[in-house]
Amino acid sequence: MSRRALVPLLAAAALCTAPAVAAAATPKTTLHAIEVQVMCVTCQIPLEVAESPAADQERQYIQTLIDKGETAAQIKRALVADFGTAVLALPPDKGFNVLFYILPIAFVLAGLLVAAILLPRWRRNRRPPPPPNDAGSANNITEAEAARLEQDLRLHDP
Amino acid sequence: MRLRPWPSIAVALAAAVVALLVYGLVNQGPSRALDNAIAKHVYLRAPDAKQTLPVLDHIDATSASLTRWRGKIVVLNFWAQWCSTCVDEAPLMERTQHALLASGAGTVVGVDFKDISSYARDFIASHGLSYPNVRDGDGSFAAAYGTDALPETFVLDRRMRVVAISRGEIPGESWLAQAIAFAKRV
Repeated sequence: MSRRALVPLLAAAALCTAPAVAAAATPKTTLHAIEVQVMCVTCQIPLEVAESPAADQERQYIQTLIDKGETAAQIKRALVADFGTAVLALPPDKGFNVLFYILPIAFVLAGLLVAAILLPRWRRNRRPPPPPNDAGSANNITEAEAARLEQDLRLHDP
Repeated sequence: MRLRPWPSIAVALAAAVVALLVYGLVNQGPSRALDNAIAKHVYLRAPDAKQTLPVLDHIDATSASLTRWRGKIVVLNFWAQWCSTCVDEAPLMERTQHALLASGAGTVVGVDFKDISSYARDFIASHGLSYPNVRDGDGSFAAAYGTDALPETFVLDRRMRVVAISRGEIPGESWLAQAIAFAKRV
């Protein structure tokens, strides 16, 4: 094949492969986006706040995968393959781990239910006592006292 | 008078939660059962000796357990690529491996702790380590030895009993030589 014939073929091949190469190198996520989703496995704290050589190594590895154009899901899968699910800040919502998501909601609902049952009872039990009798009321004096009062008033009445 | 159960139940639950927290805090530290036993001249079996770990290098299998080296002296060295002291210790481990191989007494076994596996392989290659290395990705094997800081080294006798421990960098080449000599004797 002559050189002239090769040039268009090579150009076409370059055009076909260029988008693929560009796509592979385009970052699909950021280091920070991954950092908040994973743990520093050695320090056992979120990678976002971890400061240690082990955390730096983990960040470096994540950055390498980002530079390769891997997605967040692919990077997390790679980390799980190396460290197990303990590397994830939130456990996967599968199997026994589902309890991790269900239990807090269940506790809140149970609390609301208990409050709904108990609050009306407590309110009933805490009904205000009957108002104290008015000590100054004329209704509270005996007939003898009333008679005496009447007599006194008559004495002072001009 | 009718007793109301709710306050008692609430207090009991609160007490249970506090007790659980205290238990968690008290038991948070690494186990020192092996160290305490050695201090009393009691040599316990190597924990989790049957646990299979992924092989990194120099073993013709994809996974291996300590039982593979039963009948030999084993210098079990926990390390990680990011640990600078482990880097310093690597040449001593390599020299020890040559000595153990020459005498036929045993082997060094490296346990890579919670490392990126590709980085760990690079470490082995770049330091020219010829001894077998396995990987403890989740740290469960190390936890059985009470390992929470690196490097740590355990010397096992031929019956797979832990006879010497160095938590942190090995105090010196003579310490390791004495520990191996002791492992041969007991």
